[in-house]
Amino acid sequence: MKARLSTYWLVVGLPLLWGVVKTLANAIKLFE
Amino acid sequence: MTLSFLDRGRTVAPAGYNRYLVPPAALAVHLSIGQAYAFSTFNLPLTRLLGISDSVPGDWTLAQIGWVFSIAIVFLGLSAAIFGRWMERVGPRRAMFTAALCFGGGFVVSAIGVHFHQLWLIYLGYGVLGGCGLGLGYISPVSTLIKWFPDRPGMATGMAIMGFGGGALVAAPLSLLLMEHFKTATSTGVQQTFITMGVIYCLFMLLGAYAVRVPASDWKPERWIAPAQPHKLVTTANVDVDTAWRTPQFWLLWGVLCMNVTAGIGVLSQASPMIQEIFSGRVSPAAAAGFVGLLSLFNMAGRFVWASTSDYIGRRNTYMVFFLLGIVLYSLVPTLGQLGHIGLYVAAIAVIISMYGGGFATIPAYLRDMFGTMHVGAIHGRLLTAWSVAGVLGPVLVNYIREYQIESGIPKAQAYSTTMHIMSCLLLIGLLCNFAVREVNSRYYYHENPPGNLAGARGRS
Repeated sequence: MKARLSTYWLVVGLPLLWGVVKTLANAIKLFE
Repeated sequence: MTLSFLDRGRTVAPAGYNRYLVPPAALAVHLSIGQAYAFSTFNLPLTRLLGISDSVPGDWTLAQIGWVFSIAIVFLGLSAAIFGRWMERVGPRRAMFTAALCFGGGFVVSAIGVHFHQLWLIYLGYGVLGGCGLGLGYISPVSTLIKWFPDRPGMATGMAIMGFGGGALVAAPLSLLLMEHFKTATSTGVQQTFITMGVIYCLFMLLGAYAVRVPASDWKPERWIAPAQPHKLVTTANVDVDTAWRTPQFWLLWGVLCMNVTAGIGVLSQASPMIQEIFSGRVSPAAAAGFVGLLSLFNMAGRFVWASTSDYIGRRNTYMVFFLLGIVLYSLVPTLGQLGHIGLYVAAIAVIISMYGGGFATIPAYLRDMFGTMHVGAIHGRLLTAWSVAGVLGPVLVNYIREYQIESGIPKAQAYSTTMHIMSCLLLIGLLCNFAVREVNSRYYYHENPPGNLAGARGRS
């Protein structure tokens, strides 16, 4: 059950993390 | 073909099922449909389908393309309102499955529209079909999550609805990457991007449909005991969806959501030009795009943080914070702009947008508190018509008042001041609606074997 739990959260978490990192990298320009 | 594996009965979780497996299923759907917030990344490429590098006569205009998003949001509200009751009956898996086909299919129909350069196919594809996918996908996991997390309904729905805010963070860079990949000397790459995204989102949403489970009717969390003396504004009874929308509480909450969203969406829709005009010469278009991205992050985070907070301080108090703090911040924003405080200006708008997202994420739990869990998904669906109204009202207010101010000779940097004060007034209306919310009269409650109860409740209302 724990493996399934980790897999589920990784499947949705990784794309979201990618989007957050991309957005933050873009947002830094506001304070440059 | 009945597709019986989609039936509610086939999705009942076995004993010992870990309830934390359910939020990722909801997130898979909401992360996908949240793409809607990033549709504007296609706006310019869609106006250059014939000219490729520049628009030429015969290409669609930006105003024509702008209708795609508006149609999608209107159909989101309509489909959520119309199909909510069906969704409660057939269960979340069939609703998610249908949403996946509609949303993915919408992209494919739009790709055909791009291929033949037929705008009506884009309106029909992404606008109507995709909009129905948005509405069904948005409401489908809500009541399931509330049933899985009776102890933390705000946190549970906040997690899912956070995905809708986060969807744009994924979709914006993904769309740009795909269009860059498919772009050639004779194509903007939009058609291929639509097909690719349609397939990706459809599969991702189908994964959510596969993973979703509903709890058994007698299930409750381990070591959790329902409070013997429930809070005054948290009912243990249920109200039928057709009865709920005849109660004053439904319309007060409709007003609460509509005012909160109108104020937030007005700022969100003009965030980039607004910061560039208020801080003229100090904020570049690239920095403004960064600002919009930052707001998306706060929109997403606010959904989880505020909805989770509402489990501790109560739903009505959470909206009191939104409205009171919102009134103060909207009133301060023009002054911060005139003083040239970029940091404080950004912080104020970020908090405002976090409360905009928080409003969306907290409303399902507020509805649960008022009307019970039985039809909460369907009631939520009907309440989302407030979003459709606000989606038109907010941007129109900001745009028209700004134009009127500029035509009256007011400098661009100060043209948003009146709008901000009007937004404060809208929040004051929302505050009064929220203040008027009381528990639902017991005559509206649903009874299993009604001695003419439901008809009576309708007749008396």
